[in-house]
Amino acid sequence: MPKIMFIAADGTTREVTASADQSLMEVALGAGVPGIVAECNGAAACATCHCYFDPAYAGYAGEIGEHENEMLDFTASERTADSRLSCQVHVVAEMEGMTVRLPSAQ
Amino acid sequence: MSAVPVVADVSYDALLDDPYPIFRRVRDTAPAVFVAAANLTLVTRFDDIMTIERDPATYSSDNPASLVNKVMGPTFMRKDGAEHAVGRKAIEPSFRPGTIKEHWAPKFAEICEGLIDSLIEAGEADLFPALAAPMASLSLMEMIGFKGMPWETLALWSQSLIDGAGNYSRDAEIERKAMEAGAGIDAAIEAVLDHHRAHPNPSILSSMVNADPPMPIEGIRANIKVIIGGGLNEPRDAILTLTLGLLSNPTQKKSVLDKPELWPNAFEEAVRWISPIGMYPRRVTRATDLSGVTLAEGLQIGLCVGAANRDDRRFADPDRFDVFRPRQSHLAFGAGAHFCAGTWVSRQTVGRIVVPMLFERLANLRLRDDAPPLLRGWVFRGPVSLPVRWDA
Repeated sequence: MPKIMFIAADGTTREVTASADQSLMEVALGAGVPGIVAECNGAAACATCHCYFDPAYAGYAGEIGEHENEMLDFTASERTADSRLSCQVHVVAEMEGMTVRLPSAQ
Repeated sequence: MSAVPVVADVSYDALLDDPYPIFRRVRDTAPAVFVAAANLTLVTRFDDIMTIERDPATYSSDNPASLVNKVMGPTFMRKDGAEHAVGRKAIEPSFRPGTIKEHWAPKFAEICEGLIDSLIEAGEADLFPALAAPMASLSLMEMIGFKGMPWETLALWSQSLIDGAGNYSRDAEIERKAMEAGAGIDAAIEAVLDHHRAHPNPSILSSMVNADPPMPIEGIRANIKVIIGGGLNEPRDAILTLTLGLLSNPTQKKSVLDKPELWPNAFEEAVRWISPIGMYPRRVTRATDLSGVTLAEGLQIGLCVGAANRDDRRFADPDRFDVFRPRQSHLAFGAGAHFCAGTWVSRQTVGRIVVPMLFERLANLRLRDDAPPLLRGWVFRGPVSLPVRWDA
């Protein structure tokens, strides 16, 4: 049950205890973290669960799929090297203490 | 918890003519209301629809009695979970943002150029038959991978399937036309399928037949029918609604034309304001509570996204078309696993190609005082006539 810290664009933080059978998007929605919209609820079709991943934990986040990669080009906030769609990232125990930054717009 | 209240004093014609006052009343009555004229329990509040779309185990898309399945066959639009996901994944390559931008957008721009070329000298037109309907039909034909077919054919098939899927009175003539459209589509698929198998390309038929594993032929037939029934009127209506919104609001029109980066906002606002798909069905699989109202197992409900997109609990002054509205997600493309696969195609085609080109090429485009636009529908809604003039 890793603890993950979500940091909103305005700097406010929110620590959430995640369970390993969830996507990062589900963790955020379940805890009511503002800043994740997730219109398509995990189908990687809407690009509204965009987040910036902590590069130190990138190895645990899994590969970016072809579809996710293209969808990331259409996010409302700027795509960076740390960008992921949180619905495509699955929680693992090694994410304990990880921080996830949220964009200013979805 | 309380029972589902009933609204019995609205006519079906009033819903078709202008559903928004009725939506408001239903929304303010309860989270779920049985509307006798529609013979359906309607859910109209934004947050309730979001809740429902995140719980497909309680609110299923699968319905053994569905007319869609009867008319089209076993489609992925009426499936949940893994069965839906396999079909959805098979067509994904045709709908990817990069493919849309690099492959489809130039083709669609060319189609639009041609249509405007053929009407520009007239100085006036009804944009429904002269532009929006052929535009939507020709671009969908291209995306599916059909060849050499008049735009009217696909438009007729689409309408016949939609009518068949909504044929709750079991009218024999409507059923006959839907079956005839289905047979025409099966034959058109047959005529091009070998070509797409042998020459992989970005078209939907190619994606289906070259998927791993390839989609079975019954699936191809049914899902192409869903795409024809559900992929033509929405872009058509979005083109007309966005054009109408801007023509009716000259100050906003000027801002958008002066600042083209506002086009995406204008597009999102148009489909929020008058959502081309106003309602779609779900089935309650187990007795449940929706925001204090008891829904019985087996109940058919209609998710009224057209109403939710005007929910004043979420959108301020919701009946107003306002491209300067703060950016906020809406439900015009649905939500959840069935989120519209064509979302990015329509954003690109309608919001970045067709309507901008219309305003760019038709100088001083304006509505006609002597021939006002006509809007109709609630399950599907949009202008059915949009007479305009320009300086030829």
